[in-house]
Amino acid sequence: MIVAAIKPTEHLAALAFAGRHRPRVWEPAPWIFAIAFYFAFPNYLGFGTELLVTILFALSLDLVLGYAGIITLGHAAFFGAGAYTVGMLAYHGIWNEPISSLMLAAIVAALVGLGSGLVLLRTQGLTLLMLTLCTMALLEEAANLGHEYTGGFDGLASLPIPPLLGLFEFNPLYPRTQYLYVLIVLFIAFLFVRTLIYSPFGQSLAGIRENTLRMHAVGSPVRARLITCYTISAAIAGIAGGLWAQANAYVNLTTLSLDRAAMVLIALILGGYGRIYGGFVGAVAYMALAHFLAKLYPTGWQLGLGLLLVVIALFARNGILGIGEALLRRIRAKHMPQ
Amino acid sequence: MTACLLETRTVSRNFGALAAVSDVEFRLEVGARHALIGPNGAGKTTFINLLTGVLRPTQGRVMLKGRDVTDIPEAQRVKLGIARTFQINRLFRGLTVLENVYIAVSERLGIALDMFRPAGARRDVIEEAMHLIAALKLEDDTGRRVSELPYGRQRLVEIAIALGLKPEVLLLDEPAAGVPSAESHIILDAIGSLSEQIGVLIIEHDMDVVFRFAERITVMVGGRIFAEGTPKEIAADPEIRAVYLGQAYHG
Repeated sequence: MIVAAIKPTEHLAALAFAGRHRPRVWEPAPWIFAIAFYFAFPNYLGFGTELLVTILFALSLDLVLGYAGIITLGHAAFFGAGAYTVGMLAYHGIWNEPISSLMLAAIVAALVGLGSGLVLLRTQGLTLLMLTLCTMALLEEAANLGHEYTGGFDGLASLPIPPLLGLFEFNPLYPRTQYLYVLIVLFIAFLFVRTLIYSPFGQSLAGIRENTLRMHAVGSPVRARLITCYTISAAIAGIAGGLWAQANAYVNLTTLSLDRAAMVLIALILGGYGRIYGGFVGAVAYMALAHFLAKLYPTGWQLGLGLLLVVIALFARNGILGIGEALLRRIRAKHMPQ
Repeated sequence: MTACLLETRTVSRNFGALAAVSDVEFRLEVGARHALIGPNGAGKTTFINLLTGVLRPTQGRVMLKGRDVTDIPEAQRVKLGIARTFQINRLFRGLTVLENVYIAVSERLGIALDMFRPAGARRDVIEEAMHLIAALKLEDDTGRRVSELPYGRQRLVEIAIALGLKPEVLLLDEPAAGVPSAESHIILDAIGSLSEQIGVLIIEHDMDVVFRFAERITVMVGGRIFAEGTPKEIAADPEIRAVYLGQAYHG
């Protein structure tokens, strides 16, 4: 076999790497589905809005868990920080313009992420897991005790959220504005995360996840990288929380609860973490399953979800997307000319 | 007298009551091709860890290009020009060979904080990584995950990563261990083609590799420097033959 001398950058694998960030043909599909949903199910837009918020939240979790390998059980701390920022500012009549409120939610959540990250990210493994859980529990208890400001156990209801851009009313009964608003914010956040994971920074996060010790040995400031990533992720989770508060016009302790942190974690694992669409697939699968199981077994539906999670953990570590990838690989291998 | 790149001054490291490294005075010159040999447990890897900053010495100083780096942590010492490979592979196993080398090059160039441009758009980084991959005869594995490669090929990725850091001091901890002998020349060729300005220190048990490569040999026994000299002097020393080389060796 004669191999002509090719330039190293023209090597097939090098070309594949150079173009790995380019959009695939199927990538518009989820967005087309989301827009189609708006027209097809006008009566389910409340459910749809909740779903989109969950996807955004899962996207933020994927950045730390799937890409940087930071194990956390307390990601709702940032969701809640964002939600309470929007809720408290609006309820006490300080500030309620939707878009700038959302930015404030992102900033507050980022600061919580930065502050806790500076302490937490010195640890790893089980210690880190427990400390993330503690951070969230502390915030939840603070929100419970500070009822003068936070409404305590009852939360803050009937938040006065003015129309978006002064034009589009937030109607809790017909949440058309909410749905499209959340969809647009999700799209922007998605573009940001997608750019980030294919960037040199994203590549270095993958390096930290794969071998932290080697990253030190190539001169990488590992802890600073992790703190940066954690802060960015917290900001996105804060935006998700802020959107939730605006869409529902209330905020309560569930935004800071272990239930919410566990739910998004389960959704992400179900879909497949470390894959940017894992949160999309996982959130849809989780919410659809929860919906149907709850209809079938109103009292014990979580048992079904738990069993499914056990099956995923035992046989399909990479979630639904992982199963899809394995199938595709098998089909390709079969059709490959020998 | 050549300039000194890396130097230790009475460096010691104790683990509890165990003195793993004691009072080591060592110099690595510019352009050195230096080998560090000694029986298992002699403290060779501990010594490398002291040089790279993975461990702090219990006493003594480590000097790099005349600067005291004893208190500088590992990652910052890499920026000052020290790179190493590991005795047991420490690779980004789930990533491709190209990604492994890309990470090293991008850290060296300081572009790894860039979040807004695709990694693939940095053709210069890819090109440099591909040259290293070619130098280590890994082209056919460029797009494969490291975890899918045989152990011997993974050893070559170890070296490609270290070379991607363009070090002035290169520390190789048993680079040929686990590499089939038919492929060990790839490692020696890659190291041989390095610039004369780089000082290389190699720990190796394979005496063929040591004597082919080294211009100077240090023998460590029980945490101390036992002898140092040219390969001829070391091979001729009856004490060293008794301690380490064994009677079977005819250098």
